Amino acid sequence: MTVQASRSARRGAAIAFLSPAMAVIVLFVAVPIALTFWISLHDWSMYTPLSQMTWRGLGNYTDLLHSDDFLNALGNTLVYVVLVLVTTVPLALALGMLLYFPKAAGKAVARAALFSTYVIPTVAIAIVWGALYAPDYGPISQALGAVGIDSPAWLSDPQTALLSLVIFHVWQMTGYYTILVIAGLTQIPDDVYEAARIDGAGFWRQTFSVTLPLLRRTTTFIVLIAAINAIQVFDPVYILTQGGPAESTTVLSYAIQRAAFQNGMAGQASAMAFSLLLVLVAVAGVVLAAMRRRTAAEGRS
Amino acid sequence: MRRITRAATVLALGLVILVPLFPLYWMVISALKGPEELQKAPPTWFPSHVTFSAFGEVFQAVPFGSAFVSSVLIAGVSTLSVLVTSVMAGFVFAKYRFRGRDLLFWSVVATMFLPPVVTLVPLYWLVSTMGLADSYLGVMLPWLANAFGIFLMRQFIADVPEELIEAARLDGASEARIVWQIVTPLLRPALVSLAIFAFVFYWNNFLWPLSILQSDDKFPVVLALSRLLSYSTSVQYQNVVMAGALIASVPTIVVFLLAQRVFVQSISRTGVKG
Repeated sequence: MTVQASRSARRGAAIAFLSPAMAVIVLFVAVPIALTFWISLHDWSMYTPLSQMTWRGLGNYTDLLHSDDFLNALGNTLVYVVLVLVTTVPLALALGMLLYFPKAAGKAVARAALFSTYVIPTVAIAIVWGALYAPDYGPISQALGAVGIDSPAWLSDPQTALLSLVIFHVWQMTGYYTILVIAGLTQIPDDVYEAARIDGAGFWRQTFSVTLPLLRRTTTFIVLIAAINAIQVFDPVYILTQGGPAESTTVLSYAIQRAAFQNGMAGQASAMAFSLLLVLVAVAGVVLAAMRRRTAAEGRS
Repeated sequence: MRRITRAATVLALGLVILVPLFPLYWMVISALKGPEELQKAPPTWFPSHVTFSAFGEVFQAVPFGSAFVSSVLIAGVSTLSVLVTSVMAGFVFAKYRFRGRDLLFWSVVATMFLPPVVTLVPLYWLVSTMGLADSYLGVMLPWLANAFGIFLMRQFIADVPEELIEAARLDGASEARIVWQIVTPLLRPALVSLAIFAFVFYWNNFLWPLSILQSDDKFPVVLALSRLLSYSTSVQYQNVVMAGALIASVPTIVVFLLAQRVFVQSISRTGVKG
């Protein structure tokens, strides 16, 4: 075969190999993103033909700014994401170190146990958590009562319902982030610790001067992934609270699905969805830029 | 001092095993309790009478058997499709050079971070306009390829030595032959982990089937389970719901235990949820 012929064979192959995946991604990811924006400029119920859309311009967006429901959902999402981040990330770092450094039996079992929470269907395990949280029949209130603490009403109290969902999320996802931390730890060469020990650094000193700084990339990545996973929480809300009590657990993804599929307000749902996307892009941009600046600074020093 | 550290480590490890597993334990014992025992407050921490009747009742309350078949079909076909499309696209991104390749690749990777709820409305419209609402194909079609798989395969295929591929070309092997007979066999651990990731993801996927399916007989297991929950919220039926939850979880737990090592390793490689 001549060079020319093999080159054109390769071009044909590239197109043939790429097109199935690209067709799916363009048609079901890229086009829908554009459509979300387009629909968000209209009034429309999804169950009527597209021709019955009426133009609203940015009206849906200005409505959102004055809608208590949307602001409530936005606030709940924000609280949820922040609470998840400030607990899962430090917890995953601590557990990662616990499961990486000490020589102890049972580490493999602990890793498997931690990770198992991630593979079980959220719907199935959320149902179990509903039972765990139950006021009289549930083990949590009983255990708290046994040590003399008055158990809150968890999912049925507007004060604690969102927090209960956060606890469930932390329980479910921490194992996954812990595995990521362990993966990051394996990248740190042993001689760095050796050098620190020779300099007389103890465990805490090593943690704060060696481990955490060298894990910065991993940590940034976990923050990003954890934020994105928390922002899109839907299943436990649908299963456990349906957004209640008193809308205290209505988060954005639940509000979007409900507006579109139960209230027939696809235009408004799309405006919420597109706003969510913009927020995500902005957050990811800031995190990535911070990471890049740090990397660049390290490269210079 | 050393002893105290040691004891603290063992205690912490014990908690790390107990806390994740306790809800699973509760699921199992609740499925095995009878209705009278479930109505006891405070609850019993071990069933005084073990009964398996709930496991039969699940299948009478909702069409759980056909739901199981639906889930196997949906998760199975989607997983196979993701494996094939990801190997092909990953090969192009790893081994071919063309203008705009990296831009295209990173644009694809960026879609990995898109919450599905953002595109839910237009996706529903697209799929129902194609006449595929309330069909298996409609459930599967948007997920037959994904960025995560392409990313994972590209990372692993990049490690396949260039010389191997060049040598095959000199021997006159076609590009398709190179992908399927030379590259793919070298990817076995990566393929296993992608298959597990994809299977678990599609088995657990809830939002999209919930939005696109209407008829009970097409429901995957997680949808049947949520339907079961809404039928039987009273605490005396909790054993039935828990039995359903247990049955729904078994396939993913089995798959995870079988391939736990590869699974955990491959996360380290990529760090992202499918």
